[in-house]
Amino acid sequence: MSTLDSPLDSPPDSPSDSPATPAPELAAPGRRRFSMPAFLHNRRALVGLVLIAVVAAFCFLGPLLYRTDQVTVRLDLADLPPGAANPLGTDASGYDVLGRLMTGGRSSLELGLAVAVTTTVIGTLYGAVAGYLGGFVDALMMRVIDVFLAVPTIVLLLMMVSMFTPTLWGIILLLSLLSWLGAARLVRGEVLTLRTREFVQAARMMGGTGRRIVLRHLVPNAAGVVIVSGTFTVADSILTLSALSFLGLGLPPPHADWGTMLSAGLNSLYDGYWWQVYPAAGLLIVTVVAFNLVGDAVHDALDVRLDQP
Amino acid sequence: MPPLLEVSNLTTHIRTRRGVVRAVDGVSFTLEEGETLGLVGESGCGKSMTGLSVMGLLPRGGSIVGDSSVRLGGRELVGLPESDLRRVRGNEIAMVFQDPMSALDPTKTIGHQVAESVLLHRGGTRAEAADRAAEVLGLVGLPHPRERLGDYPHQLSGGLRQRVLIAMALVNEPKVLIADEPTTALDVTIQAQILDLLADLRARLRMAMILITHDMGVTAGHTDRVNVMYAGRIAESAGTGPLFRAMRHPYTQSLLASVPRLDRGPTGQLPTIPGLPPDLTDPPSGCRFAARCQYATDRCRTAEPELTGPATHRYACWHPTDGPRPAEPVDTPMDVEVVLPAQAAAVASAAVAERPVLEARDLVREFPVRGSWLPGRERRVVHALSGVSLTIGHGETLGIVGESGCGKTTLGRLLVGLDRPDSGTVTLDGTDLGRLRGRELRQRRRDLQMMFQDPFSSLDPRMRVGSILREPLQIQGLGTTSEQRERVAELLAEVGLPAHAADLYPHEFSGGQRQRVGLARALALTPKLIVADEPVSALDVSVRAQVLNLMRGLQVSHGLSYVVISHDLAVVRYLADRIGVMYLGRMVEVGSADDIHLRAAHPYTAGLLKAVPVPDPDVERAKHGAGVRGELPSPLAPPSGCRFRTRCPLAQDLCALEEPTPRLFATGHTAACHFPLQTPLPDASPALTGDPA
Amino acid sequence: MTAYLVRRIGQAVVVVLGVMVLTFFMIHMVPGSAARATLGTRATAERIAMFNAAYGLDKPLSTQFLTFVEQAARGNFGTSYSMQQPVSTLIAQRLPRDGLLLGLSTLLALAIALPMGIYQAVRRGRIADHVFTVVSFVLYSMPDFFFALVLIAVFSVQFHLLPSEAPQAESVGGILADPQGLVLPVVTLTLVSLAGFSRYMRASALTTLAQDYVQVARSKGLPERLVLRRHVLRNSMLPVITILGLSAPSIVAGAVIAESVFNYPGMGLLFYQAATSKDYPIMLGSTLVVGVATVLGSLFADIAYSLLDPRIRYVDA
Repeated sequence: MSTLDSPLDSPPDSPSDSPATPAPELAAPGRRRFSMPAFLHNRRALVGLVLIAVVAAFCFLGPLLYRTDQVTVRLDLADLPPGAANPLGTDASGYDVLGRLMTGGRSSLELGLAVAVTTTVIGTLYGAVAGYLGGFVDALMMRVIDVFLAVPTIVLLLMMVSMFTPTLWGIILLLSLLSWLGAARLVRGEVLTLRTREFVQAARMMGGTGRRIVLRHLVPNAAGVVIVSGTFTVADSILTLSALSFLGLGLPPPHADWGTMLSAGLNSLYDGYWWQVYPAAGLLIVTVVAFNLVGDAVHDALDVRLDQP
Repeated sequence: MPPLLEVSNLTTHIRTRRGVVRAVDGVSFTLEEGETLGLVGESGCGKSMTGLSVMGLLPRGGSIVGDSSVRLGGRELVGLPESDLRRVRGNEIAMVFQDPMSALDPTKTIGHQVAESVLLHRGGTRAEAADRAAEVLGLVGLPHPRERLGDYPHQLSGGLRQRVLIAMALVNEPKVLIADEPTTALDVTIQAQILDLLADLRARLRMAMILITHDMGVTAGHTDRVNVMYAGRIAESAGTGPLFRAMRHPYTQSLLASVPRLDRGPTGQLPTIPGLPPDLTDPPSGCRFAARCQYATDRCRTAEPELTGPATHRYACWHPTDGPRPAEPVDTPMDVEVVLPAQAAAVASAAVAERPVLEARDLVREFPVRGSWLPGRERRVVHALSGVSLTIGHGETLGIVGESGCGKTTLGRLLVGLDRPDSGTVTLDGTDLGRLRGRELRQRRRDLQMMFQDPFSSLDPRMRVGSILREPLQIQGLGTTSEQRERVAELLAEVGLPAHAADLYPHEFSGGQRQRVGLARALALTPKLIVADEPVSALDVSVRAQVLNLMRGLQVSHGLSYVVISHDLAVVRYLADRIGVMYLGRMVEVGSADDIHLRAAHPYTAGLLKAVPVPDPDVERAKHGAGVRGELPSPLAPPSGCRFRTRCPLAQDLCALEEPTPRLFATGHTAACHFPLQTPLPDASPALTGDPA
Repeated sequence: MTAYLVRRIGQAVVVVLGVMVLTFFMIHMVPGSAARATLGTRATAERIAMFNAAYGLDKPLSTQFLTFVEQAARGNFGTSYSMQQPVSTLIAQRLPRDGLLLGLSTLLALAIALPMGIYQAVRRGRIADHVFTVVSFVLYSMPDFFFALVLIAVFSVQFHLLPSEAPQAESVGGILADPQGLVLPVVTLTLVSLAGFSRYMRASALTTLAQDYVQVARSKGLPERLVLRRHVLRNSMLPVITILGLSAPSIVAGAVIAESVFNYPGMGLLFYQAATSKDYPIMLGSTLVVGVATVLGSLFADIAYSLLDPRIRYVDA
């Protein structure tokens, strides 16, 4: 679980030195502009979107169809293997594993999405301001980011949860505070290049104010990288939460998420209770892969470069 | 005896996501020893791909198909195993690529890169290879080659890098050299030097050369025979002289006619080629040029013409023309007013009476070098502009020319207020722009607009064209929403775009159409002056003419003033009433277009003009020498006295000691030179402002 | 290049100071928490006061911070609440072990990722590329603790091939004497970094392959193998070096997890134990050390970059 900015990058498939294939009049692929056909053409994107839809339906609609008791501890029902009553068996506290996967998934997804939204907002604003202002302010704002980046997220998180008892919203807040850095850097970089683009100069030539330039030109054009980073943030946050849970510093007991289930189940792996581990692990990995696939595909679709005439 | 290189029915297909591109489609030609063959055409015509196919260097997804044949000295290269082909590449056939900035490995020394080829094909020790590298680098004109073997590419200027690339290609004395746009990325003065070098080396090493270019001027001066390519096929093939004098294919004719000519003054409207080349994934069934051809008939649209005619002059056309198009203006589908020189002159003289629109006085702009704040280091600055003054009258066009790095772009940015001078003033209709701040400045901006070079970066990719054109109106608070929409429709009509263009995004347009949108946006605020920085240099020749015509037409109908900044003297000649020549941050000569072109007083102006290739073989053959020798000195430390002296053929001691002051040669014609080519008027030495008339 | 280095080092110093402020204030956000945590929630007010006085926790925050900076500069991070040993001693014991573990795994990851990325770029769109892409995607998306535990389940529990616990020796030499115990932790951390590195390398190599100079090298008649080795490899590696510097925090994060799973006596485990026992001096000291190490890591990466890239090396020449 490395948290690189965006390791998933691939240039377009068309050879860069191919003969310019002049497009018919009034229709040519754009440069650095999100291209819906390219996005849908990308099978990865479709697979990712379908997976996300399935997982979301499972977690949010599943409990409506498949009702289980996830509150009462029933030690008499603990560690039951999969059977008619419990399709995926029960865990050490007697909770139905299938039902718990659903509620646990809700926490994981909610956390991932909430963190992605907050970090995107904070990161975009911070990055856009730093990139637009430039100079000393930019340098200072970037050093602040460097400071936060210098200390691994998990270290800061462990430090915080050792002081406060974690709740889901507490962890969302903490993760948001620690994960906007990447988004901010990306947006800043994007704004720095956009700022020199001729259409921004043209807006200045018309007498456009700084505010207008940021809101009308810079932010919409940086939106692409923001979406990409947000998508990766969902995946990263889910993984970080699971790591915290594994270290025993995640959400406290009655609460469930895939990470907690996984780490609890791992203790009984030696007893052969595989159903307490692999379904949770599988769902977790599938979800993270799905978000990464979508992020990757959006990234590629944004990167459609054009053989210039 | 077989010809040195014989290409027959060469067909190259490239598989892409959009389908199979028939990049080269049945091309045949021969190349004799010692000959230079030109492959000429617009981008996407398959000329580069032909060169790469001969080398066997196809891009991903590319393959040579059908009964294609490439024979070198009788030996078939198509289908040869890769290991055998490698022995041919770089040894018997070598290639020089277009962009010297990206064609050298940035992490390897130039010595290493040149020697690599020697070691590969000739063997021997590293020391021997290095000796050979130094020898060839000397041959291509790299000063002190032995000491520079350890240099990295980024330490060399563009011109020197191109010399290194040529050295790399020539180091094994190949029989055939393929030069793919070898000078397109270079300044015109350096271009002339490199082309002369190539011609000289070709003669000395008895090579044959294929010169791939889009530039008809380069073709005229440096080829023996020419193949004109269009949409993957050869349209016409002839000796250079006959081709230029008596072309048979309408495409060749239009291509030549649409190039603005340096040696002919501002003729009327430039003839244009309407439309765009066909999509090569699905080429039309008949003649590929039919859709854009004014002579096309039904036969052209259904049956594809083969190359016919005598062996010395072959063409693929059902209705061959006979020689160049008559000079008279031709009606084009685009309805733009034809501007005749007389009209333009009338406008210009009317301007004289009034106060100038814009006046710049002693503009100085310097950019500090990074890291020069360190203790113990001298503060270094790039002297981008060192005291430039100029005036622009109402309805007048001032052209600014010079090599890259002369400060012309910086000047443009200062004129429109995108940047502020370190000292000096820009006055618009009597108002000093430097004193305006905030809201006042933003309102004033509507009088000064800019047209940008890059049609890809000048329009916001996320806004529809309608919004792009409305934005200036919204910012300046002009009109109601419906009035703004009407104005947008009006603007689109003015630049010759259909009304539904307002609903499209910029990426749905071609480069030329985007430049039209850019021009419409500049016009939206009915400015007094438009600064156009390289307005057509990113466009293909045929599209270029359309945009130039449009610019001139709109000038008359709106009474606009233009400042046209370009490295292309022919473009400036076509548009400008007066021309300013810049060199290393100084304005060295200003005068009417005729003064500059016919009676240049400054040796730099004369050299620059001489370096521009003219699409006329007779004119080009008559030239000797490269125009301007050497390269532009660093703007970090410009030479003392006259900045041009280091490259000037007439320089004497005085030039290093004393900076020349501008001298008057005729009304409105000034030049700053101690030893001018014309006789100055006896009295005054005016400030070099180039006041009109 | 000197100017670049001076600026870059200046930045690093500022960031280290920032890390000090950050960690110090995070720990001191809840006054008295240290005493409560160590002495228990039912400790009397007097005992808390005594504890605070003993560790200097009763002074104003600014004074405490200055003391902390001054002491930290001398390598003194105070005494561990729970282990009653100087934090510096504890860290000094463990740092070399981390150097070994992280160094080995990162080198291994690079040794695999660089050729793998180039191979994928060359074979782009073919089956091999797709297979490697899927593998790196799954590796990248897997929680690393789960990964470590699967390795244990397979190699230790199932087949008894390798020990599930890392060597506990005091010295690096001692750890190396038991290489079998080192295998699983190193493999875990290698695979964790591998995915990211190889994706970057692939992207970087794709960019390089599209450069004109690669085509020029081919036009010289250079065999593809040499084109890749001489012209593609080095140019594609350059951006990866920067990424290496930037990924130092995630490498450390991986270490915290892996060390807890394999009980490897490194900084990660120390920190984890400190976090569970609320041993603030250890947390403070090791966060600072990790922060400085990260800053140095990316500083060295940038210096290495500027040495390997002549465009930066000779910029003032």
